[in-house]
Amino acid sequence: MHRVSKLSFPFRPALFLLAPMAIALLAACTPDNAQSTFGTAGPVAKDQADLFNFIFWIAAIVFILVEGAIIYIAIRYRRRSDSDKLPHQTHGNDRLEITWTIIPVLILAVIAVPTLTGIWEQQNGVPQDQGEVLNVEAIGHQWWFEFRYPNHEVVTSNELHIPVNRPVAFKLTSEDVIHSFWVPKIAGKVDMVPLNDNYMWMIGDEVGEYYGQCAEFCGIAHAHMRFRVIVDTEEDFQAWINGMHTAPDAPVAGSPEASGKNLFAANCSSCHTVDSTAPGSYAREITSQQARWNGWISDIENSGIVSAPNLTHFGTHSTIGAGLKDLNQATLEQWITNPESIKIGTRMQKHAAVYDTADGNAKLSPAEVSDIATYLLSLKPGSAPAGAVADAGGDVDGEDLFVSNCASCHSTGDDTVVGPGLAGIGDRAGSRVAGQDATMYLKESLTDPGAFVVDGFPAVMPEWGHLGVDSIEALVDYLKTLK
Amino acid sequence: MTTKSLKFPQAFPRPKSPNGIWSWVGTVDHKRIGTMYGIVSFMWFIVGGIEALMIRAQLASAENDLIGPDAYNQLFTMHGTTMVFLVIMPLSAAFFNWLIPLQIGARDVAFPRLNALSFWVFLFGSILINFSWVTGDAPNGGWFGYAPNSGTTFNPGLGMTYWVVGLNVLGVASIAAGLNFIVTILNMRAPGMDMFKIPIFTWMTLITSVLIVLAMPVLAVAGIQLMTDRVYGTHFFNSLGGGDPVMWQHIFWLFGHPEVYILILPAMGIVSEVLPTFARKPLFGYPFVVFAGAVIGFMGWFVWSHHMFTVGLGPAANTAFSISTMLIAVPTGVKIFNWLGTLWAGNIRLNTPMLFSISFIAMFTIGGLSGVMHASPPTDAQQQDTYFIVAHFHYVLVGGALLGIFSGIYFWWPKFTGYFLNEKLGIANWALMMIGFNLQFAPMHWLGMDGMPRRIYTYADNMGWETSNLAASVGGFILALGILIFIINVFYSKMNKVMAGDDPWDGRTLEWATSSPPPVHDFDEIPQVQYRDDFWFKKHPETISEYYHDEHDQAVPSGAQLDDEVEEALPVVSGGSDDHGHGGIHLPDMSYYPFILSFGIAILGAGFITNTYVVGASVPFILWGLLGWSMEPVNDPE
Repeated sequence: MHRVSKLSFPFRPALFLLAPMAIALLAACTPDNAQSTFGTAGPVAKDQADLFNFIFWIAAIVFILVEGAIIYIAIRYRRRSDSDKLPHQTHGNDRLEITWTIIPVLILAVIAVPTLTGIWEQQNGVPQDQGEVLNVEAIGHQWWFEFRYPNHEVVTSNELHIPVNRPVAFKLTSEDVIHSFWVPKIAGKVDMVPLNDNYMWMIGDEVGEYYGQCAEFCGIAHAHMRFRVIVDTEEDFQAWINGMHTAPDAPVAGSPEASGKNLFAANCSSCHTVDSTAPGSYAREITSQQARWNGWISDIENSGIVSAPNLTHFGTHSTIGAGLKDLNQATLEQWITNPESIKIGTRMQKHAAVYDTADGNAKLSPAEVSDIATYLLSLKPGSAPAGAVADAGGDVDGEDLFVSNCASCHSTGDDTVVGPGLAGIGDRAGSRVAGQDATMYLKESLTDPGAFVVDGFPAVMPEWGHLGVDSIEALVDYLKTLK
Repeated sequence: MTTKSLKFPQAFPRPKSPNGIWSWVGTVDHKRIGTMYGIVSFMWFIVGGIEALMIRAQLASAENDLIGPDAYNQLFTMHGTTMVFLVIMPLSAAFFNWLIPLQIGARDVAFPRLNALSFWVFLFGSILINFSWVTGDAPNGGWFGYAPNSGTTFNPGLGMTYWVVGLNVLGVASIAAGLNFIVTILNMRAPGMDMFKIPIFTWMTLITSVLIVLAMPVLAVAGIQLMTDRVYGTHFFNSLGGGDPVMWQHIFWLFGHPEVYILILPAMGIVSEVLPTFARKPLFGYPFVVFAGAVIGFMGWFVWSHHMFTVGLGPAANTAFSISTMLIAVPTGVKIFNWLGTLWAGNIRLNTPMLFSISFIAMFTIGGLSGVMHASPPTDAQQQDTYFIVAHFHYVLVGGALLGIFSGIYFWWPKFTGYFLNEKLGIANWALMMIGFNLQFAPMHWLGMDGMPRRIYTYADNMGWETSNLAASVGGFILALGILIFIINVFYSKMNKVMAGDDPWDGRTLEWATSSPPPVHDFDEIPQVQYRDDFWFKKHPETISEYYHDEHDQAVPSGAQLDDEVEEALPVVSGGSDDHGHGGIHLPDMSYYPFILSFGIAILGAGFITNTYVVGASVPFILWGLLGWSMEPVNDPE
């Protein structure tokens, strides 16, 4: 005959089953946390939070009933003493089975109604009746975000400005791996998938600065792929757009900014565009960014070039490293000196020639680093009216023009960035095309680059005639000095 | 025997001795194979647990630099891969192996050598995938291996190649085991045991095996495509070559969601055995529990895209998969209610296996409820890829599958070994696991709702995530302490044996009818089955009419009448000489060929990772194993 172990257990599992409930009660919602999905600042996130709360309270009732039943049964029907009494050997009850099949179906039907409503409201295109729609293209890169405003011809990175109470329609893409675009307080996430464009929309209904973060695992710096969304008043937003079309003031000769500008042009500008304010610069930046990507992907190990954030008016940003640290002179100097000390895995340190050193730190003196940082922090909309870039007439500096317009693709050495290195162009320009002297050749190369393309390079250079006759001449004069 | 058969030259004699290391290498005994599955997968459980503790140590505080992002990515990838493929699945397989022949009154599985092959392929595959740690290049693309991040462009090195090849090798083991158990359960039941008399654990094993046989080939397809992408430069998923990374997600989750049920259904089966035993009542609504399991297994194929609500499949697809996902909660709920019905009005003994099983219901319910929350795409848009999801599936896989498995370990240990696991240590084991588990995973719910993404190796100190993360880390170590108590219990109980006897719990199913541990041939005589829970009703004949009267809802037949009725329905059992007396029992002889063939398969895998010559080197082993196996008689002539 069977034998029953003497071991018995007097204490009640109730305490342990209650523990998670107690913890749940202790934890209040924390809507003030930076990425809380409860402290919403837009209708999409609010609808999502409301639906969550609705389901949560239904689940809470089910939770209490089921867990309560478990505790009740475990106590009420626990074996008393060592009795081996046999309870009634019931096999089941068909009516009960039907009941507890139907009840969950009904509960789920109740949940399904707002769920389906929510899906079709949130995922079926941007609402057309809630104000003028702003179009933004958001592109995920390893490991930063690029934002393009096609209707305003503005491009920026890691800090997205949107106007309050206006729908923003996003086209989400990625060039490399899958990322996910997520601003918890304003809207739930949608993935950025290569070759599969996605669309989403959001409305920010409170002015302020909000945290965003990549939510899909995307490689070594996934934890450090963050961004900010700045919800502006309509006036501030228009001012910001105008500012993005206003060139910064030129640095005073001999100032740290002037030194920084040259150092930046020499060391950083092949990947970072620093001034996309001029007409046509939006299209050029798209071309350049594509060329940088092509450069990286064609030689991942050794490429000297990589997709990189556009730094136009970087001085107006509040963070560096894709939303990682507050932007100031100290953090920026740390970043320039040794980016991995802030963001392990960043492509900048691996690919930019300036970090090709034994310890990986930048080949720059502290003073030079400081100058670059000072220069970048000085990048803000200048006093000149929008659209008036270099064509100030008369005294135009060819080298300045080169730095701000050409240096992102052409170095003045022998190395290839996107286009050919221009060392010695002054010597060989005259012998490129029969019947053209150096001046004619260089002028044609600037105004009609497709006329002659150096072997081995893609015909991606944009036309530069819009800079104006004076500027083109100044550039040609400058190029002729490169021996 | 006069038939001439081909004879493959034997390199060494077939193992004969029932003891020693070679008797384990050559064994085809389902109990020994089950034991080896259990031991090996528990070792991987410790490895996966250490990986988890390192993850928790890194996340215990903000801006922690204990473990860098590279190692962290390897740790979470291998933690997930290990726990799914090397722990929960093979631990379930250990129970299948040990229990299925015993529960259905058989002497072994249908294909004993194939069963050995499954184990050895699993062992070699698990070593292969973990060998990447030795090379310093462990997989780092996540257990889900999303393309194109898992391709060579963004993930150079061999880590993800180890991962994908290792999974393909492990898939061979799973598919072979799945087929084996389907055939065993369908064909080898004791006389009289029709499908609605088999124990519920056997039912869940059958459903799980069907899922394995259908789902693992899907993973194999995805895995081979990803492998050729990585090794031979094809463009199945490589977006740079025009491949479609979303295709990977569809194929992976088409495998991946049935996989969730492969992980949880065996534990549900265990719980459905433990609860009736210690409530001293039959399982409430047996046919409904069976049917709910089958419905889950079927509907599990129509919900995969709920892993992809944020991928941009559009509102129509999200609507369809949202509804199908909500519907699958219904049969799950039916199971929970039937377990409660089983306990209701029982005579409940709260010992260790029972505490684990009751906790299973309690914790699994939490995981199920949070699952309904992200079955709704609008709320999932906030929860996807956050710690809320991490909390959810750990409540299902730890609070569910693992608690169920521990319940099964304490429940069947006396059958496996002949002695009890210590009850006091068992209670401590259970209590620490429950405290640690809830402290670790409950706070992750609000971490997720507070916007903490998964798979980030560190986080800033101004996010409000520090307290919850610290609590989770402390909980993780308490949970580990609980596991440590279990290990101590195993050794303590072995050294201080409290013998259990054949039927210590007043069990209901056939495994309790034989000795503890069972003899090699399982049953001296193959049992004749009349009832569901046949063993119980034969011990307690006075309860037969209670159960069957209720079931048929007709006039009360006397116990004797009912006996006759059932007996009439029995098929006539032909009294083959094999089934009578010890001397006539024929068991298959041991064989080395499953081991040799498995070794060849592992070398083949290693070849795809390293180079083509190694692929070539695998061919002799595979041929040797296959040919030797096919020409080897089941029993050598005496």
